[in-house]
Amino acid sequence: MFDLINPSRIFHWIEKLINFINSIFFILLIIALTFALVLSPPDYLQGDSVRIMYVHVPSAWIGLASFTVIALMSILSFIFKIKNLNLITKSIAPIGLLFTCIAIITGSLWGQPTWGTWWAWDARITSMLILSIFYILFILAHKLIENEDKANKVSNIIAIIGLINIPVIRYSVDWWNTLHQPSSIKLDGTSSIHPSMLLPLMLMLLVLLLYCALILLMKYKTEIIRIKKKNIKRI
Amino acid sequence: MIQNFISMNGYGFFVWLSFAITFLACGMLYYKTYKTLKKYEKDFAKELDQLSEAERKLVLEKSKVASQFLASYNKSI
Repeated sequence: MFDLINPSRIFHWIEKLINFINSIFFILLIIALTFALVLSPPDYLQGDSVRIMYVHVPSAWIGLASFTVIALMSILSFIFKIKNLNLITKSIAPIGLLFTCIAIITGSLWGQPTWGTWWAWDARITSMLILSIFYILFILAHKLIENEDKANKVSNIIAIIGLINIPVIRYSVDWWNTLHQPSSIKLDGTSSIHPSMLLPLMLMLLVLLLYCALILLMKYKTEIIRIKKKNIKRI
Repeated sequence: MIQNFISMNGYGFFVWLSFAITFLACGMLYYKTYKTLKKYEKDFAKELDQLSEAERKLVLEKSKVASQFLASYNKSI
């Protein structure tokens, strides 16, 4: 199964996938923005500030999902010693950091008109801030440690420790009495969001996921070339 | 109507700033990633070019990635 992510197998698909994503990305972006900014109705309580949710919520989901993937891959890398997994986690980390920061900033921009404050040391917001710190530590481990094996080990440990924070973020609104409202979208089908707002949210999520795939493929390709470049003399 | 759309019933500053920050940050990461990729591609192609014919043949035989890279790089330039 792990052979599927072998650089020599995946390399020629990367270019094709990048071209495919580039060809559909802008059309989907325009459709998603039209729904998010024009066609979706204002909320009966939040008014038009609800539109911030169309970038805030998908960004938070991506930030969380990226770190979960990084941590799970780090565990697999520890057990099976697969170096390609480290290339993938290294490529995902900047994307995760970007979207975690976007979630925090847009959350703050939503909080000011709604709660009357830019920031609160609330359990959900604070745990998201801790997540961004884990991302920064993970990226710094790769940047500052010159020995690649050691950098991979340290970053894997950071990711595995950071995994503890993921359920804290997810359930913070249920465990503590927080300023941040509980989830409106649940996988068990008890979502309290109206379809007219769910559609733009899902469209924006799709667009941002495509963007993530694009960056991941480009970063993974860069990593493969970097390693091959280093090994060229050895061959 | 356009004024309403821009002002978003008083929330315009917060809504537009959220979208602007999101797309600006995404654009910056894309630009940086694209630039780094192109730089590595160029350097790698240059290094392959500097090898002697025999060394180059050996590298391309031994590394699938190098041969695939060269094929796609030659197509793109």
